[in-house]
Amino acid sequence: MEAIMNVNFIQELLLSMVRMATPILIVALAELYSERAGMVNIGLDGMMAFGALAGFLTCYITNNPYLGILAGAICGILVNMVYAFCTITLGAEQIVYGMAINIFAPALASFIYKIYFGINSTLISNTLMSAVPIPFLSKIPVLGPVLFNHSPIVYLAYLLVPFTYVFFNKTKAGLNFKAVGEFPKAAESLGINVIRKKYLASIICGGLAGIGGAYLTTCYIGTYSDGVVSGRGFIALSAVIFGRWMPGGVLLAALLFGFTDALQLRMQVLNSGTPYQLLAMIPYLCTLFVLAFFGIKKAGPKANGRPFFKEER
Amino acid sequence: MKKKWMALVLTMIMVIPGLVACGATGTKATTTASAKTYKIAMICDSTISDGGWGAACYNAMVAAAKDNGFETQYTDGISSADFASSMRSYADLGFDLIFAPGNQYTDAVKEVAADYPDVDFALLNGTVETKNIASILPDAKQIGYMAGALAGLMTKTNSIGFIGGMELDTTKAKLACYEAAAKAVNPAVTVNSAYAGSFSDTAKGKEIAASMISINDVDVMFGDASAVDSGAREVLAGYKDKYDIGQPSDLLAIQKSDVVICSVVTDNATMLGLCMKDVMAGTFGNKTVYGDLSNGALSVGTFSSAVSEDVKTQYLAAVEKIKAGTFIK
Repeated sequence: MEAIMNVNFIQELLLSMVRMATPILIVALAELYSERAGMVNIGLDGMMAFGALAGFLTCYITNNPYLGILAGAICGILVNMVYAFCTITLGAEQIVYGMAINIFAPALASFIYKIYFGINSTLISNTLMSAVPIPFLSKIPVLGPVLFNHSPIVYLAYLLVPFTYVFFNKTKAGLNFKAVGEFPKAAESLGINVIRKKYLASIICGGLAGIGGAYLTTCYIGTYSDGVVSGRGFIALSAVIFGRWMPGGVLLAALLFGFTDALQLRMQVLNSGTPYQLLAMIPYLCTLFVLAFFGIKKAGPKANGRPFFKEER
Repeated sequence: MKKKWMALVLTMIMVIPGLVACGATGTKATTTASAKTYKIAMICDSTISDGGWGAACYNAMVAAAKDNGFETQYTDGISSADFASSMRSYADLGFDLIFAPGNQYTDAVKEVAADYPDVDFALLNGTVETKNIASILPDAKQIGYMAGALAGLMTKTNSIGFIGGMELDTTKAKLACYEAAAKAVNPAVTVNSAYAGSFSDTAKGKEIAASMISINDVDVMFGDASAVDSGAREVLAGYKDKYDIGQPSDLLAIQKSDVVICSVVTDNATMLGLCMKDVMAGTFGNKTVYGDLSNGALSVGTFSSAVSEDVKTQYLAAVEKIKAGTFIK
């Protein structure tokens, strides 16, 4: 018990929470932009996997993690354009194409990895992005190292939260964006180009999801192996629903997942005898509990998941 | 109309490579029928480039296949739901032997083997013996003892760690023996263990190692979780005097590492080679190929410079005792 009360323990726990929450947060924000424009994109896991590979390869070749992140974003966008074209222009079922991305993109990533490195059984690792501590702020005890001693991508992820809030609630462009997800017919009648907004949402979604994947292989761990994403895309998807389609809520959801996951790993270490399956359930039990407790009073965008046909009545 | 054309073109693009692939394998099957070349396929849930379990098993298959003139093929990075279907497709393609490298494939192997009586299955760490399934069983207890003895001798903080992937029988045995052996050489040792619940989530390995170090100042770790272990090694690499024990291949022999001090080497190639000979002789099945220190299937890998001569002698003496069965009764 005394170990839990220790300041060092709490600091490490919070640090671990921030690290584990970051990829989920970035990708959940990606999904938020997509769903706000009325597109449920369950292909996050696939885009992350492809972004992870693109980031890793670029970083490996150029030795520059920042280029890796950029490559991750570009490749995420490219992959998501397949989804965007099929669902927006062709009006196809969004869930089906999201799933297709989940099957197609990781397989393509693994294929490219094998072509580039050959059938090779040694583990290839690259340079990780180094942390950039923020002067003065990082010196604050406990909170300093937890919040202000990370790689720039982590700061970017957390800054995106207030930015997204302001964008959706205080700017005309953001309100127009939301209108597309709520009632595209009305939006169209007011002169908003619904199709263009949906493509814009797909670009943002693909870019952020790619960054989320590239974060894993350029800032978090220095290696790439198939399955490195490990379902984080799906957790991000649930974080959006959990956070009720609001940036603040999404942040809380990502942090809750990060916190409970960090906690369960530590509880495993502290009580080696407990069946680990029981502890590994904690993040999911918490989700169930919070959803049951608060209920879903505010549902998501009204036209979410429905294709938009301009000429249809 | 334009959309229909587009859909047609996209469909063609997706279907054509599939047809080409089918055509290619079809012709291959007919040519091999005349002059029999045996074929082995391996499935794997982590990847063959994970620098750990998957890599070692793949290398073992390739080495054994080279000695026995087998053609090899593999599928990696598959999820548990696809184990059976992946093996079925290899069986349909006319493979003679399917290599399932781990205890977690047991149920899938049993299911598929029942439907394909003419195809043989080699199950690593398995406990199944039927007409067309043979198990390859490296002694998990000895592996645990070997790692534990070295960890117990190397630790300065008297705190050592163990990372498991899934709670498999072999992993549980390794953990229990790791702990017993470490306590036997160093009674003050405490063992910390955690399961990642995955063999591919490298980031989780990193978090587990970080938490073990921050809570209990663990300084020697041993893992049974493929790619997860490489995440743990990344954290350990950030410290000067924290080490990892590798398995199942001799990690220091294939790549440089400041973290790995030694490996518990499992020579799966020899054991798999025995299975291949049985396939060719038509005597496959109904047996388990055991591997331990006495028949050379288990051995001590390359030491790094971090291991002092003194520790090395003590450790090798312990390994001799493990081999003779007098280490822990």
